[in-house]
Amino acid sequence: MTECPDAEDALDSRREFLKAAGVSAVLTTSLAGCVGTEGGGGGGDTATTAADTGGETEATDDTETEATGSTETEDTGGDTTTATEESPDKVVVGQPASLTGKWDFLQPAVTQSTDLAVSEINDAGGPLGAKFEISRRDTAVKPQQARQVVQQLLNNDNAVAINGLFSSEIVPLWDFLKQQTTPIVTPWPGTRFLDTRGGDKGTPEKMNDDGWVWRTVIGDTVHTAGAAQAMYENDFQNVGILNGTSAGERGWADSFQQAFENLGGTVTKRVEVSEGQSSYQSSLNVLFQADFDAWALAAGLEDATTIIRDWSAGGYGKQLLLEDGLMDPDLIEAVGEEAEGAWIAAGSTQGPNYDAFKPKFSEAGDADIHTWGVAAYDATNVIALAIHRAGSTDPAAIEQHIGAVTREGGTTVSTFPEGKDALDAGDDINYEGAVTQVDFTQFGNVWGDVAVSTVSPDGFDEEFSIGADTLKQSIENY
Amino acid sequence: MALPLVQELIFGLVLGSFVALGAVGFTLVYGLVDMINFAHGEFITIGAFAGLVAVSTGGFGLPVALVVSFLVTAVVGWGIAQLIYEPLNDAGPIPLLLTSIGAGLALRNGMRLVAGPSARYLELPSPTTYRFDELGFFFTDQQMIVVGVALAAVVALHLFLSRTMLGISMRATADNEDLALVTGIDTKRVRHVVWLISSGLAGVAGVLLAVSRSANPSTGFDQLLLILTAAILGGAGSPYGAVVGAYLLGIGISLAITFLPTAVSDFGTTMAFVVLIAVLLVRPGGIVNQEVRSS
Repeated sequence: MTECPDAEDALDSRREFLKAAGVSAVLTTSLAGCVGTEGGGGGGDTATTAADTGGETEATDDTETEATGSTETEDTGGDTTTATEESPDKVVVGQPASLTGKWDFLQPAVTQSTDLAVSEINDAGGPLGAKFEISRRDTAVKPQQARQVVQQLLNNDNAVAINGLFSSEIVPLWDFLKQQTTPIVTPWPGTRFLDTRGGDKGTPEKMNDDGWVWRTVIGDTVHTAGAAQAMYENDFQNVGILNGTSAGERGWADSFQQAFENLGGTVTKRVEVSEGQSSYQSSLNVLFQADFDAWALAAGLEDATTIIRDWSAGGYGKQLLLEDGLMDPDLIEAVGEEAEGAWIAAGSTQGPNYDAFKPKFSEAGDADIHTWGVAAYDATNVIALAIHRAGSTDPAAIEQHIGAVTREGGTTVSTFPEGKDALDAGDDINYEGAVTQVDFTQFGNVWGDVAVSTVSPDGFDEEFSIGADTLKQSIENY
Repeated sequence: MALPLVQELIFGLVLGSFVALGAVGFTLVYGLVDMINFAHGEFITIGAFAGLVAVSTGGFGLPVALVVSFLVTAVVGWGIAQLIYEPLNDAGPIPLLLTSIGAGLALRNGMRLVAGPSARYLELPSPTTYRFDELGFFFTDQQMIVVGVALAAVVALHLFLSRTMLGISMRATADNEDLALVTGIDTKRVRHVVWLISSGLAGVAGVLLAVSRSANPSTGFDQLLLILTAAILGGAGSPYGAVVGAYLLGIGISLAITFLPTAVSDFGTTMAFVVLIAVLLVRPGGIVNQEVRSS
């Protein structure tokens, strides 16, 4: 190998500088993706396991936190009559989590309610008499990292089902996720992509048409229909839209636009913005050159905060509608005054068993509650009940029993202990959740009311809600 | 009568000011230390958090926060350079570059561990808006502060480089370090000063970004590509070129957002880079058209 005597001289040339800088930029960006730079956690290299935590063990970033303080509840004798010869010592469910990244502020409530459900499940003896564990790994809501995490959860942690994954992860990884033939019950995704793709298509015995993804939160189609209806019925006939470019934000904007136009409204102008800018004044200026009565904003919290500040400073005015993902106390803290009077339409957090869930959640920790947090409680219970009804930890068997424990018919239950007792007694069950009825459609979706709140410096004040039955009339395939 | 493009120019100047403060420091290090410091973004982040602490914990106003950030980041940046970069000085530019990438990663994730991943916001009074509706533009006092601080920093740097012996020594070192050494210039001292100024300016940029946006572990990293682009566009190694490049970039992005079809308006930043590539193809030396010194 020969040395290159001209190396230093070559570096001095502009082109070499560019080359070195360019390669370095790519390398840096690559490393950012792999090693977890944007608060990125190490590609899921570490897992947080929660079992019997009672919500007291909060997952921390990149920290191996084996749950402590467990009260062993495995094999609780005669209580678990459903347990078959396959009864394992423990059942692991994987939870891809947003421990870091731009949606990390939503994870604490999801962690807390998941751990709450795990605690209740194990206190009741667990599915099939086995200890029920959650293995939690950070995806930072990045598709490539999520793909790696799912592989780790299934292959390293032996997870039999997945409890998590965002729209931004599911859409690009769809084929990969289906190939895993493992049920995914997730509290996160709102994407319209799932409107007709998930679930068992109403044929649990026939698996080749299954989408394997079930969501316990209402889809964007439903709550954007609610948002569009709220706007249109309050005399906002023309709107502008400013949205980010991630799949979730773009999907929300698409869905809202379609629903609003179906009602007869007009989207006068729509502007997309790339994320992470220090100022959005140029984009706002372009948007507000159009004539409209109100505008909708779909962006991550930090970008939305900057946009709202710029909007307020620019004195652009007009009624503001925020995407549901921004319903977070951090938004109030950052721009509660600037955004005062803005509307936000989100799936109601208050399902049929919310009142029973809420005090338990508050006791379990200090996370701020939100829709996805409540939906995570439902997702966890659904998985555990499906395992118990299946009498097996085989992912295909679990998939086949998700519909059976949630759809109408049978004894109504709202927690795992109730459901386990009913199943052990030989009854069919219908799990009713804390955030929705959790009556899965054939595509693995749920219906729910949409609550419209206004932003004030003190928080979100619910103004009115639009019932699921009303929204069903305007949505065909879901 | 509305004046055309004035509003876009104002937005571009504000964006350019953020970039200019970062790009000047970045290009100073490149020109005098002969190193591409990819941890420069993290120096900006350190400044953002220093400003946050000064305002939120110390209860100080923005002027004090700017001074505190300048000083803290200058010292921390200089310390990091002495600890990590200077011992590798003889290893050549490529090892230094790779080391800086590693240092950036370590700093970014270190800050995330210490400060948490969430964005923190500076609690400052809401900006006052000055509207000139007949002329078709507005600006806020916050925007003026951003532009004013950047311009003040550039003028101060110019005076330092042109009116002080140390500044003249820096320019001499940038031109030819060996010759500067022979003529009695303490080039080691010059390098110390370069790290202090470069890091300090990054800290100032960090505070302004925190005011405009927020402080989080990737505050500076998110701006790194813009900074790098401005430095190259202006002519790497030239602080004056970096300033011009930063403002051209800021205005270019602002105009691209305005004039591109709204369906692709998020390509504004991309278009700026397209322009950059075109400029470099025509004029590889950047705006100042000046090759960087041989080390």
